[in-house]
Parts: sequence; C-alpha cells; structure tokens
Amino acid sequence: MAGGGGSVSLRREPSLLIALLAVAGLVLAFIVYPQIQVVLVPGGDGYLSFFEHGNWQRPLQNSILVTALSTTTAVTLGFVYAYAMVYSDMAWKPFFRLVGILPLLSPPFVVAAAYILLFGPRGIISYGVFGQTLNVLGLYGVWGVQTIAFFPFAYQLIADVLSRSDARMEQAARNLGASTWDVFRTVTLPLTRPGLGAAILTTAIYVLEDFGNPALIGGLFTVLPTQAYGLISGFADFTGAAAVSTILLVLALALYLAKVRLDGGRSYVTVSGRASSMPRPPVPPAVSVACFVACLALAGIILLVYGSLVVSALTRAFPTNLAFTTTHFEYLSAHSLALQNTLVYGLAAASVSAVLAVLAGFLVQRGTWSGRRALDFLLIMPAAIPGLFFGLGYVVAFNQPWLEWLDRGALIVIALVFWNIPIGYQAAVAGLRQIDRSIDEAATSLGASSLRGFRDVVLPMLRGSLQVGFTTTFVRAVTTLSLVIFLFTPQTTVATVTIFQLVNDINWGGATAFTVADVGMAIVVLVVLAAIGGRRFVALGAARA
Amino acid sequence: MRSGTAGAPVTSTASLRLDHVTKRFGTVLAVDDVSFEVPRGAFATLLGPSGCGKTTTLRTIAGFYDPDAGDIRIGERRVNDLPAHRRGTAMVFQDYALFPHMTVRDNVGYGLGVQGVPSAERRTRVDEVLAFVGLGGLGDRWPGQLSGGQQQRVAVARALVVRPEILLLDEPLSNLDAKLREQLRWELRELQQRLGMTFVYVTHDQDEALSLSDVVVVMKEGRVEQIGKPWEIYYRPRTTYVADFIGTVNLVAGTVEEGRAGTVGVRFDGHRVDLAAPDGPTLAPGAAVRLCIRPEALALRRPEAGGDAVAVSGTVARCAFLGDLMRYWVVVDGREWVVDQMDPGAASPFEGRVAIAMRPDRIHLIAEASS
Repeated sequence: MAGGGGSVSLRREPSLLIALLAVAGLVLAFIVYPQIQVVLVPGGDGYLSFFEHGNWQRPLQNSILVTALSTTTAVTLGFVYAYAMVYSDMAWKPFFRLVGILPLLSPPFVVAAAYILLFGPRGIISYGVFGQTLNVLGLYGVWGVQTIAFFPFAYQLIADVLSRSDARMEQAARNLGASTWDVFRTVTLPLTRPGLGAAILTTAIYVLEDFGNPALIGGLFTVLPTQAYGLISGFADFTGAAAVSTILLVLALALYLAKVRLDGGRSYVTVSGRASSMPRPPVPPAVSVACFVACLALAGIILLVYGSLVVSALTRAFPTNLAFTTTHFEYLSAHSLALQNTLVYGLAAASVSAVLAVLAGFLVQRGTWSGRRALDFLLIMPAAIPGLFFGLGYVVAFNQPWLEWLDRGALIVIALVFWNIPIGYQAAVAGLRQIDRSIDEAATSLGASSLRGFRDVVLPMLRGSLQVGFTTTFVRAVTTLSLVIFLFTPQTTVATVTIFQLVNDINWGGATAFTVADVGMAIVVLVVLAAIGGRRFVALGAARA
Repeated sequence: MRSGTAGAPVTSTASLRLDHVTKRFGTVLAVDDVSFEVPRGAFATLLGPSGCGKTTTLRTIAGFYDPDAGDIRIGERRVNDLPAHRRGTAMVFQDYALFPHMTVRDNVGYGLGVQGVPSAERRTRVDEVLAFVGLGGLGDRWPGQLSGGQQQRVAVARALVVRPEILLLDEPLSNLDAKLREQLRWELRELQQRLGMTFVYVTHDQDEALSLSDVVVVMKEGRVEQIGKPWEIYYRPRTTYVADFIGTVNLVAGTVEEGRAGTVGVRFDGHRVDLAAPDGPTLAPGAAVRLCIRPEALALRRPEAGGDAVAVSGTVARCAFLGDLMRYWVVVDGREWVVDQMDPGAASPFEGRVAIAMRPDRIHLIAEASS
C-alpha cells in the first residue's frame, strides 16, 4: 500500500551490488575521467596565457554567429517541413517522410561536399551553368551548408513535438469557431512551446558541435571545433586545443541545460515509418498546396545533395567529365579496412551500448540506493558533450604509455559506447516506467535473483528500448567524424575519416563513392535489423556528426 | 480445480511467525510493532482498509521490504537477512504480474527453470499443476489471450508449482467481477485445504476474510487490532473498530452497574441486562461500555407482544428488501438500530411501533477505553 521502499536490496544481494559498482566504475572511468582530463590539461597558467595570447576570440565569435544564423534558418525550414507533414493534407507524404530520414543516416558534412561539387570553383551549377568561379568558402558557405545539413534534424525534432500535441484540443478549438491559423496561434503553439524551444536548442547544439562542414568549407572562417582541430593537427598544441574545446563544452552545456529545463531531458525521438493515426482538423486546400510546394523544394535540395554525390561517384571527373565509370569504387577495396572498421565498431558499440544502457537504466530506475540521482545525471551528460571534446578526452586520458597494450579500435568502440549511452539509457528508463514492479517481483518471488529476473523478464520486455539504443548508436557510429578524428590510427581508421581525407585530397570521385558506400551500408544494416526485429519501425535518435 | 498428484499434501510447508515487526517509509510508520503467528498449513488473512499496512506486512514477509525492527521466521529459520528469492515464499500479485512475453506454460515453468529442474520433469509438473487449476490444454496460450479469471489461475499455478513453504496472496481476487470472485474464493480454499499449504492472504473484503480463513489478523493504521478465528472476530470483537469494520453492527452505549466473576450487569436505554464479561480486566461499576449486537441476532415483534428477556421499543424508519433478509432501521430514543429479519417471506413488513427483542447471550461487551 505504502509507496517507497524497493524491490532491490543491495545489502542482501551482493551480485547486485557488484553490478552497480561495475556500472558506476565504467561511468567514472569512461565518462567522467576523460572529460576532467581535458579540462585540466591547460592548468591554471595555461588558461591564463591562452586567454591572453591565444587565438580564441575570433573562433568563439564565429561559432556563436554561425550557430545563431544556421539554427534560425534550419529551424525555420524544419518547421515548415514538420508543419506540412503533421498538419496539411498534401500529397506524397510517404515520399517526403523517406527523404526526411535520409540525412539522418549520413554524415552531415556530405552536404559540404555536395555544395563544393555544385557551387565550388568548378561547380556544375556555378561554373557549368553560369561560368562563374565563386569563392564559396567562409561564413555564407558554412551558414548555407549547415542550414541544409541540419534542417532535417530540426524537422524530426519539431515533427515529434507537433505530433505529440493533442489533436482533440485542436478539434475542440475548431469546433468553437477558430480558423486554422487561430487554432495554430492560440492552441498548438502555446501547448508545444516548451517542446519547440527544446527542439531549437537541440538543433543549436548540433550546429555548434558540427566539425565536418566548417572544416571542409570554412576556409579562413574558423569556429571552435575547427580551431581545436587545427591547433592539434597543425601545431600539436594540446594545451590550446583543450582550452578551445573547454570553451565549446561550456557553450554546449549551457544550451543543454536550457533544453533540459524545457523538456526534462528527453534526448531522442522515435522516427516511425507511419503517419500519426490521430486525425487533425483539416487545413484549407491553399495551405496544403503551399506546403506541398515548400516540401517539394526542400526535398529537391536534399535529393540534389545526394544525387550529386551518386552522380559524382559514378562519373569519371564530375562535373567536367560525366562519362560513366565504376573506377571510383576501387577506392572501396583500397580502403576496405575503413569500411570494415566502421561496420565492426558500429555493431560492437551499438550492442554493448544498448545492453549496458538498459542494465544501467534498471539499476537506477528500480534501485533505492542513495547516489542514483548522481549516476542518472552522469549517464545523461554525454548527450551534452561535443564529439570533438569527447574524443579529445579519450586521447588525453588513454593515449598513455601504460595503456600501450590496449587496442586503439577498442578505444574507439568504448568512446562510441559511452558517448551514445544517454539515448539507450533514457529509452530504458522510459520503458521501465511502463513495466510494473510486480513483474520483477514475480520473478524474484519464484526464486530468481534480481539480476536473473532482469535477464529473463525485464530485458525481453525492454526490446523496444534496446532497439532505440542499438540503432541510434549504430547510426551515430557510422556517421560521426568529430568523435573519431583524434582517435583513429592508420589501422583503426573509419569511413568518415577516409571520406574527409579524400575530400581534403580533392579526390572527389573516391570521396563520393565512399560516402555512397557508407550510407548504403548503414541503410542495409538498418533494413536487415528491421527485418530481424519483425517491426516496421526504425527507432533513431537524431544523429550527430 | 481437479485432483491429481499435485494435490497431495505438501510436506515442505512451514509455519510463519512475526515478532514486533516495524517498517517505516520516511516518517510514515507503515507497519507498527506487528506480531502474529500462522500455524503450519493454516490459511491466514490480513484484513483491513487500504493504508492499514496489510500489504506492506505481506511484502515484508516476501522480502521486498526490509523491516526496520523485529524478526520474521518461516518455520525455524529467521529470514530477515535472506533476499526475496531465497525465502521459500511465492507470491500471487493483485494484477497477476504474468510475464507477457512468455506462454502460459513458460510462465508456470519459470520458477522450475530457475531451480534447475530438468526440462522433462518441468513439463510434467507444469502440465500437472495446470490441470489441477483447471487450465489443462491452455499451456500454449499467451497471457493476453486469457480472461481475468484464467490469468488469476495461471498466477496461482505459477506460484504453487515451485512448492513454496508459504504462499503469499495480495488481494488476488480484487480485479475480478463479483460472481467469479466468489467462485474462485471457494476454489482457493479447497485448494489450500487439499494441499495443506500455509497461505497468507491480504484482503480488504471481510466476506473473503471470514469465509476463507483459519486465522484473521485485523489491522488498523499499521497495528494489529485483533487476531482470531473468523467467528471470534465477528462475534467477539475486542474493539469498536473491529466490530464496525466486520459486517454491520449495533453499538449501543451502556454503563456497568455491577461486576461479578464471569458476568456483568449493564444498564442501557433504561434496561438492565446481565451479560458475559469480556476478556481482560474486570469492569468496575460505572465503567462505560458498548453493547455489540449483530442485526441478525435481533428480532422484531409487535409492540404488544411480550415474553422476551430483553426488548426495547421503537419506530420503523425504513426498510430494505435484500432477498435473503429484510433490513429494518428502527429508531429507539432518537438512535437508529439495524435489525435484520432473516427469511422474511412475502408477508407485509413491519411498520410503525415495534419491539426489538434480543437474547443476552448474543450481546457482546466492549470496554469503552480499549477502543
């Protein structure tokens, strides 16, 4: 009758205590320790002299400026797309939904690559159509590219918020005589404002942390992530890089804390293949037509990006020589190690992360021990940590002589596991809230220990949470560049790094062929998983670069 | 439920003893110094309104809560320090808590799998117990395909098959409709008697408690109010709380005039009766008492009728026909009495002035201070 107390008693079950200590130890070792190491690298004097002499003001201003600009435009476009998908009666919705998912499965910096192919000095549109050689590098280029790269993410986040708004209230408002616009302004917007705010802030975090796009087309326009990378790759200046990364972390944490205040820390959306079944009040036909035109334009841009990549991959020297060839795909065999590593690391990290996240969720959500709030916070924290910072932390903490025996590939897998753990963890906690404690207790009262009951009963019932954790971690593993850019070695390189290097070598054919292969591999794996899982959905956290 | 080898008396069943068990949640005292004993093979019921601590007591026995003080003994073993899965108790939950991703057979066989029982034996025992609870042939169904009553039987079968020393049941019938509840109640009792297994059963339903139990433990605000056989609880409640909670009762204020060994002279409403003294200290003259009289122990008479040992006169305020009885509310000196006329027949009911006749041996005394 009375609440409180718990089914989990650490004192009487040593195995449970051991499991808890193991999870807490892993979290401390692989989430807390590396991050503290980065922050501590420069030391007090290092920070002082860096802030006095170091080049950080310009990148900081640039980061803030481009984050503000790109977030505004990306969210605006994403909102239009989301509104059209959720509210309008436009045609081709399944097509638009599919096109909207595509960018989540690919590294965001492929947009920068496509942009150079289309608008660069020898771009098919700028040079081929207009005969101009433009300087596309710099602020405007980054702004435009990030807008296109991240509006699909904003769309997913906003569509999730809008579709969770209660259609019955909108029906009621229409019933009372409000017009479509009135309903939206006076009912939908006020109800979804916190969710929309959180979506905007999440998009801002993606933009702020984005490394690939500014690295490819920023030119002299440096932002914090590219500045940190440049300091290490150019000058081996770990002190400066750590200081710049710490500034980046502070900004990301500020955005993240603001987001948590709005939505309580929800960090994933479920991207389902189906439309919401809830009927919404009809919108005027003119609005639907406008929505259709807007979505067609936006989907056209996305398809233009991927289309140009595919064409480039299949032609001799895009855009000057459009003769069909498959020679670029020979780079796949030359760099097959990178693709193989990507697949192995992605699958390994996804498996470990999903199971570990669910175990951690079980220990925290079902436990009654003190300190579980702290563990809860630490498990969610990586969602706020930029990939570049996270990777740098692993370099500083674990690239040590006494860890020579440790396989570098394993280190990348571990980084992927813990960087992505918040999504699976939160999915598990949400799932556990749906399962009455009496289910665990039934197993216990039949003679199973708490961990045995977890394995036999709770884990199978959390299949949905496991899938969310697995697919999201996998997708983010195959699309991230920033996390691995400091961690890879020649033996442990991955697809995104190879693409980045091929672009820097101005080997467009190879880079685009590799991109097509990487994205194709991710899609194949997800389709196979969906077929095995027997469900029609692909659950994804919005992936980040 | 049919007989079978699973219906053979259980030899491993054990007695249960709680000594001064206390359980707090923050500042709330959920279980307050509770002690009681359940003999081996008995059916014990923890009875009380919601929030009285009965479920917390049961969950403390099961090991889902740690008691803050006191000892819990199953047989000769003190089990305080044993985790729930080593206590030899099995529990049937209010919402059944069937595993939705397992078939009925896998649900029932789960505990045997944990014990490492070989699969051939497991299968035999599962089929046996399913037949025993009347679910033979439903082993391959999923829990979601069963009715509430069937789910309840699966939950019981799942707990029985591991041969627990004590079976704990947490309001197992409360989610079922009235007819099914009554049917399953008899089945449970029959099952328990055939197995000779110790059952501890939690309910807020007094009918269940009275009809099922060998021992009833009435609880109030975390404390044990009274322990006894069902008829002791019903006819000789120790406090007005117990009298009021179990069934319908007339609690009439009176004063002790004279106390002798075994009997007490009591005055109420201008009448004097000699009654059997309640347990406990002798009542001194002048002490306030309550006369506890069940409605069915009273009889209505025409006002002019005489010949009863004790009779008070009043006026019928209203009556209700309940089929097996006619219930009257009779006003006596501004106070309402409830009188049940059993087997009322089709005769026209009493109206106007009536006399309420009662037999002194059916009047139970409760000392006022103890309530």
